[in-house]
Amino acid sequence: MARAPENEPDWELVRKRNFVERLKHEKGGFEVLRDLPAMIAAGYEAVPEEDMVRLQWYGLYHDKPKLGFFMLRVKTPGGILTPVKLAAIGRLAERFGRGQGELTTRQNVQLHWLEMARLPEVLAALEAAGLSSAGACGDNVRNVTACPVSGLAEDELFDCRETVAAAADFFVSRREYSDLPRKHKITVAACPGQCNAPEIHCIALVGTRREGRNGFAVRVGGGLASWPRLASDLGVFVPVDEAVTVLQAIVDVWREDRRYRLSRARARLKFMVDDVGPAAFRARVEARLGRPFEDGELPAAPADEHDHAGLHPQKQPGLLYAGFPVHLGLMSAAQMLAVADLAESFGGEIRLTRRQNFILTGIPEARAGEVLGRAAEIGFPLDAGGLKGLSIACTGDPFCNFTVAETKGKLAEIVAHLDETFGERVQGLRINLDGCPHACAHHWIGDIGLQGTTLRERGAGGERLPGYDLFLRGGLGRDAAIGRPVLRRVPGETVHLVIAALFRAYLERRQAGERIQQFFTRCSDEELIALAGAPPELAAPMASN
Amino acid sequence: MITERIVRADERDFLDEFEAGQLAADFDYTTPEEVLAWAIERWHPRLALCTSFQAEGMAIFDMAWRINPAVRLFTVDTGRLPEETYEMIETVRGHYGVEVEIRFPDALRVEAMVGRFGPNLFARAVEARLLCCSVRKVEPIRGALDELDAWVTGLRREQWASRANIRKIEIDHDHGGLAKLSPLADWTIEEVLDYNRAHGVPVHPLYAKGYTSIGCAPCTRATAAGEDARAGRWWWEKNAPKECGIHCPLETGALEHELEAILARQPAGGPRR
Repeated sequence: MARAPENEPDWELVRKRNFVERLKHEKGGFEVLRDLPAMIAAGYEAVPEEDMVRLQWYGLYHDKPKLGFFMLRVKTPGGILTPVKLAAIGRLAERFGRGQGELTTRQNVQLHWLEMARLPEVLAALEAAGLSSAGACGDNVRNVTACPVSGLAEDELFDCRETVAAAADFFVSRREYSDLPRKHKITVAACPGQCNAPEIHCIALVGTRREGRNGFAVRVGGGLASWPRLASDLGVFVPVDEAVTVLQAIVDVWREDRRYRLSRARARLKFMVDDVGPAAFRARVEARLGRPFEDGELPAAPADEHDHAGLHPQKQPGLLYAGFPVHLGLMSAAQMLAVADLAESFGGEIRLTRRQNFILTGIPEARAGEVLGRAAEIGFPLDAGGLKGLSIACTGDPFCNFTVAETKGKLAEIVAHLDETFGERVQGLRINLDGCPHACAHHWIGDIGLQGTTLRERGAGGERLPGYDLFLRGGLGRDAAIGRPVLRRVPGETVHLVIAALFRAYLERRQAGERIQQFFTRCSDEELIALAGAPPELAAPMASN
Repeated sequence: MITERIVRADERDFLDEFEAGQLAADFDYTTPEEVLAWAIERWHPRLALCTSFQAEGMAIFDMAWRINPAVRLFTVDTGRLPEETYEMIETVRGHYGVEVEIRFPDALRVEAMVGRFGPNLFARAVEARLLCCSVRKVEPIRGALDELDAWVTGLRREQWASRANIRKIEIDHDHGGLAKLSPLADWTIEEVLDYNRAHGVPVHPLYAKGYTSIGCAPCTRATAAGEDARAGRWWWEKNAPKECGIHCPLETGALEHELEAILARQPAGGPRR
């Protein structure tokens, strides 16, 4: 139907229609740092609301209610943290963030409760530790994600850490890339499991080999939120040493087309790719590069999603890595400091994963037992396929301004109920729970995705009652698909029972080797609704095995 | 039983998230009239326009009325409206020959609130003001929305950063999942005023007195030329949440999110007297 307008609007019209374009033009997001001392001197009350928006460029989001507390999102390109860096974040959480922290689906770490007056100290401490929050929010290239075991996994095609670091550095150090039409998401990996979700990124460099050379296939235009799309393959091969140049060309083609700046509702690369198609988009990038691409093939997608959980040998002889589940993605300051200390003790690193977990790397084989024991004492027992590690929820209440239903707390209830009901049989199930349509926890592609909403009925006091839409049939990998909201407005108080009923139906009716996504795809909406409403004995525990 | 509740909810004509996202993208470059014509065709009479008779609401009503003169229009009489708004309601009734549905707050809730905290509680503390907004405005609007499958707002993207992302069609997850339409999303204020002039749309009399936004009488005032529009609402408040003045309307859900977060922090018994 309606596509971008034929004629490109001028900047005047763009700024007239789009408040954020006007705001950026009047004073760029990154310029707010210069004014921070004056803002602090004037006091929170006097700070213009516009500058609160600009603070997003430093990864600072006003938490709810907007009374002066901020969330800080620390970027960690590729999810790689040295013990020194994790300890620095832990100390910030301890001093300024009420001892709380959380891991995110973009391999970031988030803190809350920061006060404006402390921000200069916080940002200086980050810088001193070699960390940054610049570009973590706002209209920037967000944290460049990667396979968390880049450079370590035995089965990786090649080590792409240098490309990840170069891409992250390139975009954050050039101010023209801090005025993108909206946020922009890039991922780079040579992981055969494609654990970094190339399907849902604006740009994904997918590691491959061609005629003996290492390089990347390129997918563009993926994304979730209210208009979910899987990224398209450009059919090209990009040698490793040209990767950043190609990323730049793609982002340039995107940011320079003012038509997509008129409306932030369509200011994501996925809309342009959908409008023009991957072939024409490739031609535009080639025109920008001044040369044609080499043709290439997208490597086969894995059969299933992959998270590097559990204990695995590294390609470096004698060393192991261990992926630990972090329930709800919550990691306290004390835990960060203890994990940093543990990694330091054997000279290893910490890697953050897309499913809000962490991996300890460089564990000497001889010390594996001791390291796992200490990690368990810190609160992270190794439990490879468990629900606690695979299920994720977005930030939600009490912090997020957008959420309409409980997220992490509700996920804890659901996980506890499923663990109790199904025991080990529920291992491997992926629940993705979001509080709003923004889909930070990727509800469109979970085995069971939940999105918060409110019910039509109201409580005894007239209050809104939380509910969840349940998304089924989505997934990544070979059967990548966007899920559909099959069950809608399921009451929050019974949603764990509905999920248990669906999972029980899968266990009882699945065909040999059938995964849950395939089962949901095979069933009609009506069948699934009927299965979800099975009688109350659905709450009864099911014996394991 | 769980199934019954799910199915019963789906008997109403609600968009699902995927459909809503697709419609929002498809309608993004279309005119307000196209959005309205489609929505009225789909939902009338389970669609209504919510208005406080500001320029945007009047432009939308005029467009909708030309498409279908039976389109529903509702407003909330908070009990503290300026006299000019009642005049405006009479003007609209006369000009278009329509009924305006007027929602009132729950009398028992208002009585309990003003008995306990006084009629002018809003002047005392942000928490008290939010309670007043909740009882007098938010709750009656929720009551109206309960009976609808779609509602129409006058939100525009150029108004503020948090409105820059609004879509012309979306699901209102703050209000039970009905559809929320913002046909004027991509219009500038000049376009709204031009439309109203060209179509002889009635204008709220307070604009001529220097008002830039229209609300309850004690909480809204005229602003001087060049003065920030934010000075026109709750100008006395200290320590109010950022963006909780004119940029935090009920239509975006922001007011209710702030209100619930702040009132939830109150000690038992509510705001101080």
